[in-house]
Amino acid sequence: MKYNLIHKTSYKYHETVNNYHSLVCLKPKDLEGQICDSFKLTITPSPNEIIERKDYFGNTVHYFSIHVPHQELIVQAVSKVQSLPKIQKNISTVSVQDCKNILWNNSELKVELLQYMLQSPFINWDAEIQEFALSCLQGNIVLYEGVMRLCHKIFKEFKFVSNATSIYTPIKTVLKERRGVCQDFSHLAIACLRSLGLAARYVSGYIETLPPIGQQKLQGSDASHAWISVYIPEMGWCEFDPTNDMIPQERHIITAYGRDYSDVAPLKGVIFSSGGHQLSVSVDVIPV
Amino acid sequence: MITEVKDSLLKAYLEEIESYDEILDANQQVKPYWKKMFDTLEKLGMEQLVVRSKELTNKLQENGVTYNVYGSSEVSARPWQLDPIPFLLEKSEWDYIAKGLKQRAMVLDLMLKDIYGPQLLLKESVLPPELIYDNCGFLRSCMDVKLACEKQLLIYGVDIARGPDGRMWVVDNRTQAPSGSGYALENRTVMSAILPELTTGMTVNRLSPFFKTFHKEVTALTGKSREHPTIVYLTPGSGNETYFEHAYLASYLGYTLVQGDDLVVRDGFVWLRSIDGLEKVDVIIRRVDDDWCDPLELREDSRLGIPGLLQAMRSGKVAVVNTPGAGVLENSGLLAFMGAACRFFLKEELILPSIATWWCGHKHELNYVIENIPRLIIKKANRKQIFRSVYGRLLTPEQRMELIQQILQSPHEYVAQEEIGLSTTPSLVNGKLVPRLAALRAYLVANGDDYMVMQGGLTRSSAVKGRFEVSHQHGGCSKDTWIVSDTEIAQKEIRIEMPKESVHHHTSLPSRSAENLFWVGRYAERTMSTTKYIKLLINALHESVKFGNASKSEHIEILLKGLTHLTLTYPGFLDTEKPDLLANPYQEIHKIIYDLKILGSVASSTEAFLKGVISVSDKWNHDTWRAIYSIENTFKKIKRPDEAYSNSNTMQKIMDKLHARLFTFYGIVADTMPRDSGYYLFESGKLIERILLKISTIRACFSFKSESYVENELIEAVLINHHLLIYYRQLYKSNLNLEAMLDMIFLETKLPYSLAFQLDELGRYLSELPKPLYTERLNQAQKAVLQAGLKIKLADVSQMIIFEQDTLYRVHLDSLLAEVFDLILSVNNSLTNLYFTHTEIQHSFLSSTENLSQNEI
Repeated sequence: MKYNLIHKTSYKYHETVNNYHSLVCLKPKDLEGQICDSFKLTITPSPNEIIERKDYFGNTVHYFSIHVPHQELIVQAVSKVQSLPKIQKNISTVSVQDCKNILWNNSELKVELLQYMLQSPFINWDAEIQEFALSCLQGNIVLYEGVMRLCHKIFKEFKFVSNATSIYTPIKTVLKERRGVCQDFSHLAIACLRSLGLAARYVSGYIETLPPIGQQKLQGSDASHAWISVYIPEMGWCEFDPTNDMIPQERHIITAYGRDYSDVAPLKGVIFSSGGHQLSVSVDVIPV
Repeated sequence: MITEVKDSLLKAYLEEIESYDEILDANQQVKPYWKKMFDTLEKLGMEQLVVRSKELTNKLQENGVTYNVYGSSEVSARPWQLDPIPFLLEKSEWDYIAKGLKQRAMVLDLMLKDIYGPQLLLKESVLPPELIYDNCGFLRSCMDVKLACEKQLLIYGVDIARGPDGRMWVVDNRTQAPSGSGYALENRTVMSAILPELTTGMTVNRLSPFFKTFHKEVTALTGKSREHPTIVYLTPGSGNETYFEHAYLASYLGYTLVQGDDLVVRDGFVWLRSIDGLEKVDVIIRRVDDDWCDPLELREDSRLGIPGLLQAMRSGKVAVVNTPGAGVLENSGLLAFMGAACRFFLKEELILPSIATWWCGHKHELNYVIENIPRLIIKKANRKQIFRSVYGRLLTPEQRMELIQQILQSPHEYVAQEEIGLSTTPSLVNGKLVPRLAALRAYLVANGDDYMVMQGGLTRSSAVKGRFEVSHQHGGCSKDTWIVSDTEIAQKEIRIEMPKESVHHHTSLPSRSAENLFWVGRYAERTMSTTKYIKLLINALHESVKFGNASKSEHIEILLKGLTHLTLTYPGFLDTEKPDLLANPYQEIHKIIYDLKILGSVASSTEAFLKGVISVSDKWNHDTWRAIYSIENTFKKIKRPDEAYSNSNTMQKIMDKLHARLFTFYGIVADTMPRDSGYYLFESGKLIERILLKISTIRACFSFKSESYVENELIEAVLINHHLLIYYRQLYKSNLNLEAMLDMIFLETKLPYSLAFQLDELGRYLSELPKPLYTERLNQAQKAVLQAGLKIKLADVSQMIIFEQDTLYRVHLDSLLAEVFDLILSVNNSLTNLYFTHTEIQHSFLSSTENLSQNEI
């Protein structure tokens, strides 16, 4: 599939802002199953300079700052992406327990994966989360299937509710209230896996949504999306989407990998202002 | 007999020793330098030593040396404690220790480069990966942030102490922004001033080569690109525990003291917001911890850093010392692997041992720790996690089990260290020399491809016998540290080639300092004017009681109401519901003097003045500090008045004292402060306040006509308030006349307290301040002052005294003064707009992906 991606973020400030610094993590990755043909970042008011670099995790980030007084800021990222059919690897029959043993005892693997096995800024767990994890991932279960079960359980038992949670909502609250959005479900799934000594990371990207049958697709109705990636011996990193209870396919487009949301936030900013602001985001994933 | 007397101090001390002591060598003999020290002390005598010790404390207080202690509701500045007995180390032993410390610095520098680089330590299994990936000092965004020089660890502080085997042990590492070197320098300065004879028979190595090398390294970081590099010293602010040291070192090294929001990243560079505009910054010496340095890429809630700093560093546009990320080395778990790292990098053994440390992340060590808890101190590997070190021997069996359970939950987070006995060293406690545990913090600075060790350091000794609580936070005491030898040759001063610098004639004044100096001026004068007024008021009260009678007290009422107007402490004496206040005024006056909570009281103005003074610590010279210290002493009494302070005579006295001390402060500032923008802002603040307050008093006294005998009293009071009574009498003898008085205090341009004089001066000071480009010839502030000056100068004094027959209101006088008052008030706002712009608050936010549409598949 080929997609045109338009991700537009705008901030409206109540008071004039004189200084703004930002880090943007919006460029789709070049991967085995995905090619980013072009990427263009347009910012209004226009900054003097946009600096691109690769971060610690190999994601592309852009830094810019604005020093003219402004009341509205628009960051628009437009990219053309080819998403190729994902090759289904042979499913490993390694069990949860065996995987754990391999990860913690193979020192080379451990050095590579440890940061995805420990707590991170948005990922921590307690006995309840571990218990929730164990309901799908008993030691003798095949890991791949266990992760599928976990995703299915989250999909079934949790309600997708926008604006009920924020990025600062603790995972245990999400578990208790059984609702949230994709990043909450991804964080919960990651916490579950790490609580059992497994390695899991956060995937930030987009998903093409389909309009209800018989209706026109609305503009800006797509969304940035988040799902997870789990390390499975013999297979490597495998992706799962707990929000949609599916294995990500061509309609999933990847922008970044990290330990959790904090490593890959699409837009981070620091402003100097005396008032509040309003944020609006619109995303279009248009197949071409 | 004589020899016995001569050795009495030493003998007495030897009897006090319970464990091994610094003064004894391996054969239990007194070390030669300690013998000399005791001989000198003997000659000096205990009595004299105690006197000198008090002098040390006074001197440190005079110099404003403090250490802020957290915990109580308000941050309180504690005076720095210095023991008169230095910590002595013989040069030959020190050379060996220094060699070991240099080796440590080398290894840590290589570790730092490796951790934020190829990570061979992990790949070759020298370090367990937990100590990096579960290390809160490991900052991923610092991966590609490097200094443009050989060493990445530019400054290094290391805590060492003597263990039971007589060797020096490394106890802890400080690699972000090690504190204490400034206190060490100040200790030395004060010791050499107060106890110079203690060095008799020995030569003490100097500390200055360390700071010269530091400056040389820092200057080298700027490359050759700039002739006058701008180096700033970044402090978290005056609430920080070691703020004194930040200001002290900044001024010692000649760097500009700044806070995070004095700096801004723009067009890739870091700029200092100064009142002359933006000035490019080349090097930042930071006293802000790693993760607070940049809210964009590190802690988003930090208000102490500079957004965009890491990116500016990546592009090589600014150097930060030490580079953020260096805190990764402060993890206690790493101490257990220093030997391995040393062998890995240098193929040699550690010269100095580390305190025995077990990291619980390995099974074998974990078991050892669990079995030996009573002999161990348990800590978290990450320093930042709030977890007080646990002394195993102090635990009950239940507590021990609890701790073991806690460790077993996540063993890799814990570290255990052997509780070793440390050496004691002589300290003066309650007039006696007694042994106290001590530890030394040593300092190293990169020196090309090598390190230089400070020839000395900061020794801290325990406040309590047998306990090792050396930190100043817990009441420990500091000591000067002497590296001693007998010959001058042995310590031939290391010549340090300083890079050739032409003199930089301009020093920048950060906008924040500018604003603070302005407010120091305003609060100083507010305190000054209020004390002056209260003095004359109490005087009038005394006179009316002693020599007058009740019917003659109308002027007192007006003066009392004037005090309320002056201090804006409404309703006060204007309260119509409490008319008896006027008859018994002392209760209200008491509040206006002593009550810190009342805005406008003498206490609160003095406090605001002192706070302002501290926040621009680097602007005051030594003599000014002494004056400030004396004001602070008076303030302490005002803040907590005892019973005696309710007496009007005592009030009078204390107002007098404060007034005189403020005058001393004014005098020293006027006599010594460089005539730069800072000075002119200070003076402008002072004059603006003075004009406003003098006007307030004139209006309170004369806006309404009173009986002439009352008015005469008021004229006298106002003349005193303007320091003009004597002068007036010389001209007019005893004829008190309102028109003559107004003529004098409005128009006489030769009198420093006349309005004409003050307005002229204010105009002159404003003209000395920097002018922003592309503006009119006169700025708003200057125009307002000019206008006010003209209004006063063109005033027809004979018109001023005219009053309306029915209301007794002097409309001309009052409206003229009201206009001038408003004009001068507007100068304050104009200056704020022109030079101080700190009204914006920083917000950090992460965008969120919450708006997922409802029709999700």
